[in-house]
Amino acid sequence: MPLLSDKTYLYTELAQEKGVVLPTPKTEAWKYTRLRDLLNTEYQLCPSTDKTGSLPPFEADVIHIGNGWVVGELPRIEGVSLSFITETMEKTQHPFALMNAAYLTQGLKIEISGKLKRPLLLNYFVVPEDKNYFYHFRNQIICHENSSAEIIEQFTYEGAVKSCYFANIVNEIRIEANAKLHHYKYQNEAFKANHIALHKVAISQSGEYESFCLQKGANIARNETEIALNGEGAEAVVNAAYMMNGWATLDTTTNIYHYVPHTKSSQLIKGVIGGTAHGVFQGRIHIAPNAIQTTGTQLHKAILLSDEAEIDVKPELEIFADDVKCSHGAASGELDKEQLFYMRSRGIGEEEAKQILINAYLTDTITQISDERVREWFKILITG
Amino acid sequence: MSAPILEIEDLCAEVGGKQIIKDFNLTINEGEVHAIMGPNGAGKSTLSYVLCGKSGYKVTSGSVRFKGKDLLSMSTEERAREGIFLIMQYPVEIPGVPSTTFLKHAVNAVRQHQGLPELDTMEFLKMVREEGRKLGIDNEMLKRPINVGFSGGEKKRMEALEMTILKPSFAILDEADSGLDIDAMKVVADSVNALRDNKRAMLIITHFQRLLNYVEPDYVHIFANGHIVKTGDKHLAVELEQNGYAEYVKEN
Amino acid sequence: MNRPEIIDESGDKYKYGFTTDIEADTAPVGLTEDIIRLISRKKEEPEWLLDWRLKAFEFWQTMQEPTWAKLSYDKIDYQSLHYYSAPKQKVAPKSLSEVDKNLLETYDKLGIPLKEQEALAGVVAVDAVFDSVSVATTYRAKLAEKGIIFCSISEAIKNHPDLVKKYLGSVVPYTDNYFACLNSAVFTDGSFVYIPKGVKSPMELSTYFRINAKNTGQFERTLIVAEDDSYVSYLEGCTAPQRDENQLHAAIVEIVVMNNAEVKYSTVQNWYPGDKDGKGGVYNFVTKRAACRGANSKISWTQVETGSAVTWKYPSCVLQGDNSVGEFYSVAITNNRQQADTGTKMIHIGKNTTSKIISKGISAGFSNQTYRGLVKVTPQADNARNYSQCDSLLIGTNCGSHTVPYVENRNRSAVLEHEATTSKISEEQLFYCQQRGIGEEEAVSLIVNGFCKEVMQHLPMEFAIEAAKLINISLEGSVG
Repeated sequence: MPLLSDKTYLYTELAQEKGVVLPTPKTEAWKYTRLRDLLNTEYQLCPSTDKTGSLPPFEADVIHIGNGWVVGELPRIEGVSLSFITETMEKTQHPFALMNAAYLTQGLKIEISGKLKRPLLLNYFVVPEDKNYFYHFRNQIICHENSSAEIIEQFTYEGAVKSCYFANIVNEIRIEANAKLHHYKYQNEAFKANHIALHKVAISQSGEYESFCLQKGANIARNETEIALNGEGAEAVVNAAYMMNGWATLDTTTNIYHYVPHTKSSQLIKGVIGGTAHGVFQGRIHIAPNAIQTTGTQLHKAILLSDEAEIDVKPELEIFADDVKCSHGAASGELDKEQLFYMRSRGIGEEEAKQILINAYLTDTITQISDERVREWFKILITG
Repeated sequence: MSAPILEIEDLCAEVGGKQIIKDFNLTINEGEVHAIMGPNGAGKSTLSYVLCGKSGYKVTSGSVRFKGKDLLSMSTEERAREGIFLIMQYPVEIPGVPSTTFLKHAVNAVRQHQGLPELDTMEFLKMVREEGRKLGIDNEMLKRPINVGFSGGEKKRMEALEMTILKPSFAILDEADSGLDIDAMKVVADSVNALRDNKRAMLIITHFQRLLNYVEPDYVHIFANGHIVKTGDKHLAVELEQNGYAEYVKEN
Repeated sequence: MNRPEIIDESGDKYKYGFTTDIEADTAPVGLTEDIIRLISRKKEEPEWLLDWRLKAFEFWQTMQEPTWAKLSYDKIDYQSLHYYSAPKQKVAPKSLSEVDKNLLETYDKLGIPLKEQEALAGVVAVDAVFDSVSVATTYRAKLAEKGIIFCSISEAIKNHPDLVKKYLGSVVPYTDNYFACLNSAVFTDGSFVYIPKGVKSPMELSTYFRINAKNTGQFERTLIVAEDDSYVSYLEGCTAPQRDENQLHAAIVEIVVMNNAEVKYSTVQNWYPGDKDGKGGVYNFVTKRAACRGANSKISWTQVETGSAVTWKYPSCVLQGDNSVGEFYSVAITNNRQQADTGTKMIHIGKNTTSKIISKGISAGFSNQTYRGLVKVTPQADNARNYSQCDSLLIGTNCGSHTVPYVENRNRSAVLEHEATTSKISEEQLFYCQQRGIGEEEAVSLIVNGFCKEVMQHLPMEFAIEAAKLINISLEGSVG
């Protein structure tokens, strides 16, 4: 299926070849995320590897994905049918999703029909070499009626990294009536890597999607969630945290479309930005005409730790129905000086005090994670 | 023999597709005070909303006459102008609308309906301040947006003021004592008692007998399963307080 | 003698929809360098201003009309408009008694008395701009005693060229945006205010804009300069006749605020909104910006927007001086087929700068409304503070309400807060009002006025009463 020779490509050339219009600084949806580093790098398709990433401290069914290739055989899991995908589910105008479809490395079709007992872990791992590699991976996740599952994606890399690589991930998720999916993600790519992920989620009647994404790594990273609430009673929770002390751009983008009445969405996104890093949040709640009795809430908060840190925020409400309750809030500032002073006056060192405050600030983004072991894991990742 | 003010016949009503009021019958004559008591969740408040014509409360059959007129064909505001006044469990906050402004709109709407000239601002303010003072409402409170940030007691005082100046012929007290301390409850009771005469009538909807110590009812009805299951005088309320509702609820 | 006529009163609530039958001096249609020279010549302008206009025109031809706003309207044919129209008057009026009676009647009818003795006993001085030119400015003598200059910008160009040259385009350069650039090329009149050092204006200053002529764009330009330690409150009102075709209004307001000075700018915008099917109405594409250049300076924008078919307007504050303060209070109401994309920009540059945004949007009928705002904190703007609150109310199932704030923070000591809510009028509030005897339409108007209260209380008293009436008129027929 993969089609590239070992020819090197400039990403823009690839785009041209496939007729993809790449975002420019004038493209509203990419207004704040500067893609120059990503677009001006020459990439080669990643070769496969047998190496695998380390595992989190909880029991899970694991699929290792090394350099964009599934390592070994697909596991057998009760209630899940796993196979490689042969085609993508739908068309999209998203430039990176288009690119993903065109140059797919591999993709998995994950069909869930039962109530899963253990989380399913997609353990992405990159073993970088001297060349600049990229891979395009895609999952089609179908949660059949009344099923429930927890899927965790972890993105890590091996060793010291001199080269840059680019992970381009697409998840097409379909949640059927009364099905439930918990979807968590930990992104800790190498400091020169680029990471773009699109989660396209469609939720039917009384379906539930609960997600959390922690972003800590990469040079340019964007985690984009697009949700269509298509059935009455459908609910979505999109929470996220990001923390960065280097120079990266961490982008969290959400687009939530309420198409029918009696749907609900909530979002809590928090970030802590230091160094010369750049935090971006764009979030849209869209309520279609007649999608009444709908609730959509969104809150983004960020803390800047340094003089050169930057934050750009664009929350958006787009509402075409009257009987709705929608709100968004955005706040940014620095750590509370009073709190810092209080802690220091009790003998806690400044750095430690800051760390305690940051941890406390971020941890309320994970309170909705119902699986205790997973929640604890994220807590350690946030505080560690 | 005094004339009937409210006549409810075979009333059935539903909320959100669920039938709450079933074959409800009650006649209240001028000058009478009736109390309806019942367990929590029995739909007592539904009755008061149906009588006031709140949207979402659907009458499926039966009739209600108010002073001989068909009540159910009137809009909420027409019923209010005809003299129905509901003392609510939780009066809603309306940000930005000063209490005096609100009261003035209400008074003049009712006066216009009665064929009386509108009060000018000075007359109105004089009257409101005077009545307010009697209820412990000062000018500062009158300037505040209606009900916004009011304590439970302040909200009741405001309602008592509204009732005093609108002079309704029929007052419904819907769990008017819930969450109130004795003083606040007395404010409500006093204003109701002050209004009481041989023309006006009252309907007190309550879970506890407490308020009835202050506003003494002529009749006490027990409400269960959508209608009145027993009628007595004020002693019935005392009995209920002691024995509870259990024996009435299990009826069918 | 011709009287102002009222066009089609049947079932229409826009009471300012009449036209005045007055002989006008109108330039031919179209926009060329020659037309710009003609305007400049008619106004007997100095060479530098003509050059500036021509440079703007040249630049404008390289620009694209912006499309990023959530607005859809038929493409404007800029070559089909007149760019100059002035009521014919043989000699410029020296006093009010010389002003054409027709014009005085028109303003009378609009509730703007131009005879000083009637003008609210010295509370407000008025500059009346009719189509492209200023027709009268009241109370000039009284203001002049204090050193305040209040006149049309044409007069200012003649009589105070240095001031105009120093400040014109210094806040909104002609390169700023498409409509501002067009205005710079063709602006015909507007108001000029200069408040000298240490002077607090003894009265409100007011400009009343009126579009009358057919197929005429209105491009006025207002320039306000408040020197150190000065204060002025400025009011702006606008109306236009009811016409089936759209009228273009592309104005600029520039304000310069120096040390410890304060300017309050209030607008009640009631341009003709078009009929209920969206026919006709004013395209209101306006650039308003204030530069708080001095330390401790303050600018406060208050706007009540009820008119216009299409509104594109973002009164902005550039907070350059340390401790400067910018405020934006807005009520925007759209009904029928109206569209509005409006909001503000707060650019924090100086240290300890503070800004506040309170926006209340009400959409009814088939209208669409967008709040679009930017809060930007530059790296040097230590301790910047912003609080933004944008609430939207929807009345009816066919309208839309959108909120698009942009927050760009480059300074960690900034504390920025943004909150927005969208909902419909609460059933509980309506029920409460109705249970007390208040009719539905009256209840809606009470609730809406309460919703807007926080903004309305920043308007000067007389203006606030007028604005509250306008809100009610705008919402008529939107209930039930």
